[in-house]
Amino acid sequence: MAINEKMIEEILNKYPAKVKRNRKKHIVIRDSAQENQEIEANTRTIPGVVTNRGCAFAGCKGVVLGPLKDMVHIVHGPVGCGYYSWLTRRNKARAEDPEKNFLAYCVSTDMQESDIVFGGEKKLTRMIDEVVEILKPNAITISATCPVGLIGDDIQAVARAARAKHGVNITAYSCEGYKGVSQSAGHHIANNGLMEKIIGEGDLEEPPSKYTINILGEYNIGGDSWEVERVLNDIGYEVQVVMTGNGSYEKLKNAHVAQLNLVQCHRSINYIADMLETKYGTPWLKVNFIGIRATIESLRNMALYFGDEALIKRTEEVIERELAEIEPQLEPYKKICSGKTAFCFVGGSRGHHYQGLYEELGITTVLAGYEFAHRDDYEGRDVLPNLKTDADSKNIPDLHVTPDEGRYRLKIPVERMEELKKIIPLNDYKGMINEMVDGSIVVDDLNHYETDEFIKVLKPDLFSSGIKDKYIPQKMGVPTKQLHNYDYSGPYAGFRGAINFARDVAMGFSTPTWNFIVPPWKHNPLLEGSIEQCSDDTCVKEVGA
Amino acid sequence: MPWKTANYRNVNENPCNMCMPMGGILPFKGIEEAMVIIHGSQGCSTYMRRHIAEHFNEPIDVGSSSLNEKGTIYGGAQNLFQALDNIRKVYNPRLIGILTSCLAETIGEDVEGMARDYLKKQGLDNFPLVGVSTPGYGGTHSEGYWLALKKTVAGLARPTEKHGGINVIVPNLSPADIREIKRILEIMDVKYTLLPDISETLDRPIARPYTKIPPGGTRVEAIRCMPGAVATIQFGITVEDNISPGHYLQSEFGVPLYNLPVPMGVESTDMFVGLLAEITGGSVPGVLKLERGRLLDCMVDSHKYNAQGRGAVFGDPELVCAVVRTCAENGLYPAVVATGSGNSGLKEILGPVLVECGQDVCYLNEADFMRVRTSCRENGVNMAIGHSDGKFLTESEGIPLVRMGFPIHDRVGGQRLLSVGYTGTTNFLDRVTNSLLEHKYKNYRATMYREFYREAGK
Repeated sequence: MAINEKMIEEILNKYPAKVKRNRKKHIVIRDSAQENQEIEANTRTIPGVVTNRGCAFAGCKGVVLGPLKDMVHIVHGPVGCGYYSWLTRRNKARAEDPEKNFLAYCVSTDMQESDIVFGGEKKLTRMIDEVVEILKPNAITISATCPVGLIGDDIQAVARAARAKHGVNITAYSCEGYKGVSQSAGHHIANNGLMEKIIGEGDLEEPPSKYTINILGEYNIGGDSWEVERVLNDIGYEVQVVMTGNGSYEKLKNAHVAQLNLVQCHRSINYIADMLETKYGTPWLKVNFIGIRATIESLRNMALYFGDEALIKRTEEVIERELAEIEPQLEPYKKICSGKTAFCFVGGSRGHHYQGLYEELGITTVLAGYEFAHRDDYEGRDVLPNLKTDADSKNIPDLHVTPDEGRYRLKIPVERMEELKKIIPLNDYKGMINEMVDGSIVVDDLNHYETDEFIKVLKPDLFSSGIKDKYIPQKMGVPTKQLHNYDYSGPYAGFRGAINFARDVAMGFSTPTWNFIVPPWKHNPLLEGSIEQCSDDTCVKEVGA
Repeated sequence: MPWKTANYRNVNENPCNMCMPMGGILPFKGIEEAMVIIHGSQGCSTYMRRHIAEHFNEPIDVGSSSLNEKGTIYGGAQNLFQALDNIRKVYNPRLIGILTSCLAETIGEDVEGMARDYLKKQGLDNFPLVGVSTPGYGGTHSEGYWLALKKTVAGLARPTEKHGGINVIVPNLSPADIREIKRILEIMDVKYTLLPDISETLDRPIARPYTKIPPGGTRVEAIRCMPGAVATIQFGITVEDNISPGHYLQSEFGVPLYNLPVPMGVESTDMFVGLLAEITGGSVPGVLKLERGRLLDCMVDSHKYNAQGRGAVFGDPELVCAVVRTCAENGLYPAVVATGSGNSGLKEILGPVLVECGQDVCYLNEADFMRVRTSCRENGVNMAIGHSDGKFLTESEGIPLVRMGFPIHDRVGGQRLLSVGYTGTTNFLDRVTNSLLEHKYKNYRATMYREFYREAGK
């Protein structure tokens, strides 16, 4: 069903007037006739609307730092936040050294009331001593929860002192939950820390192979990164580090040697991508390994960047081989999925990325959005110069890096770079809205109430989002697919991932479960009868009567 | 043991508990048409919703005042009031609970005062707005649960004429458990107010149309009338008086309090059923006698297997007590009894129960899983009973885990686990026994080989 402004207006009428005005700016109906459709994003969440957004701590410790496997991630604060970010994102890791995989650990200073009153620095210091002694990690991070900044614990100083004492890389992140407007603030804080204190610590000067790359903004949920790396390695790329899925301190500290940085999730990691270019001269390429067409395009763009004939040829060979493997498998799923509609609401990149894969399966995305993205993720990076810095973003320090005298190298000549920029998304991202079909809806920071109402109006065949909101549509009889943790399935990236995804989505449509929701007595009346000329007496005859 | 350093509690490794506001959410989910807001950073409510949703497989709507940097300086009243306005407009609830987070407490917000101010400002005299101070550093989710209940009762209860009903106040049990307790009350013809009643709200049938607040829960009016009950039965032997709703009703309104263990196991269920019969002057119905008989038959059948188990029991203090008592009744003696809570009463309560088990019992409070794991290893534990985070005991020590309590996030059906009453106990013991048997068969050959095989000539 096509939606119009009037329907949106009706949905928003439930809100108090001020809230309605605010939310209206976060909802756009795609219309390609209009140039540059604007959407409001990355602004303060309205209190009490039951948002799906998290906080700066979640973005920093939970998303960006958490997946680094050979490090111990200490949560300085009361126990809850450490607990809630304990393996909850399904970022998988396989350790090179089995003794150095600490992902299954949740380590917290478990601050008590007395620590809030008297300060927790000493406890944190003693804890670092113990962690070094007991676990012997390659590096340590310390993430602050709300009270830490408020009571004035100087975790940066604690980290510096501990680093001097133990000779281990120890970094602190002041990612208190109240900073910024969503987890996006935490990504920025984490990016700054990794850039400033870890990347470049390693002593590699030259890339280990001819085609050395980093994958940025890939968190290896359900093993996505492994599927992507399988193909990349096969073509002949050497992946220096994945940031940060299955990543490690040992690899990350040498991230500066890569000749190209791939950016999968633009939102969470574009800061680092930009800084790496300024400091080491490494350009970044926006890729998308979700969906078959997007994967192929990304692989071809990478080959174009390096511009090596043998690499281009090898890329085509691998693409051909992979397609031959998956295309026959995909057909039956396409038949089931074809003609269906979906909602696609995820964090900061997947809301866009999965639309292509849906399209390949014959599913139209009728509503999409991001939890915590900024305007450039919706409208493309061209909008960046027009963005005003508000009070909330000013609270997150911007790191100003300068070219590294010893290590800055131009990876490709300036003229060639300019040529390439015309044909591949080097240092560029065009955003989600551009690729959406007319009449579809874009909603920023979709909340529980709006989820409920949009489902009633648009009646999608599939709802894809996360665990907090998936039970609403399920209770309404609409199948769901979690795109945060993949309902414990995956990988969904790359070629083989697309098959897994198609299988999982098709299963949602084809399971007989949904057919039982309406009981048989609603389909077939238990009584049969006809209207007759009758008085007040019953004119319904029972079956068989 | 390498884990034992001099000052252990500096590091909490793999916690056995969550924070106070998490526990505070649950009671409000068991009150009819209630909503709940966390006053603090929005991450708190998002994280907690995520965890509760994963356990119950239900939508969990919790508002947030979404405090940011500005709020930390100027106070968060404006945000909280706006959150209350919006929640009231969209959800139209009949009661709202406000919990605080670390942030709100550290900047010194007076949530109860703010609730009063809001009502005054809006001219809402009778709207039940329950403020509960639940700093994350103030206790575990267990304490948060009881405090939220107590504040709800204290905020709503008013002098009422005696109405002959009984108050039944329950700890954090599964919806299936609550349904079982209600069934027992109903077949014994008891007029009751059960608080909080999550039996329908957090185990909601697929039914159309979908409503934002699930049907069911304790009625607000019934909570107001709790002082008129002839007695309160509270399953809360580990609950301290200052956070005990039953104690509040007794001291403020003179409602006699019967603080019982969770009705799990023969003895505790007998106590509950017997007390109901005594209070109502009725007799125990035949159907319950049959169920009791079946439970005993189950125990006779399985005691020989149970006796081979050496258990580790961990989780919320109240549930830990219930499980330990139940296991001990059938000869499965726990070697490790642990809770993440600071509640230090476990040893006192369980000591007399376990006095005859003939082995040492290691009691741990404020425990984390590193300590639980070490104790399991030292004490030859071969069976763990508790919530999902005990899965690491299986992964690293090979100890089978019988999932029980909250949260269960790596299996489905936590909300449907039935463990109370005679029938529930039977189910529970079967789950435990079968885990022991499965473990035994899975390891049968390896064990035999290890114990009996010797190479020729040695």
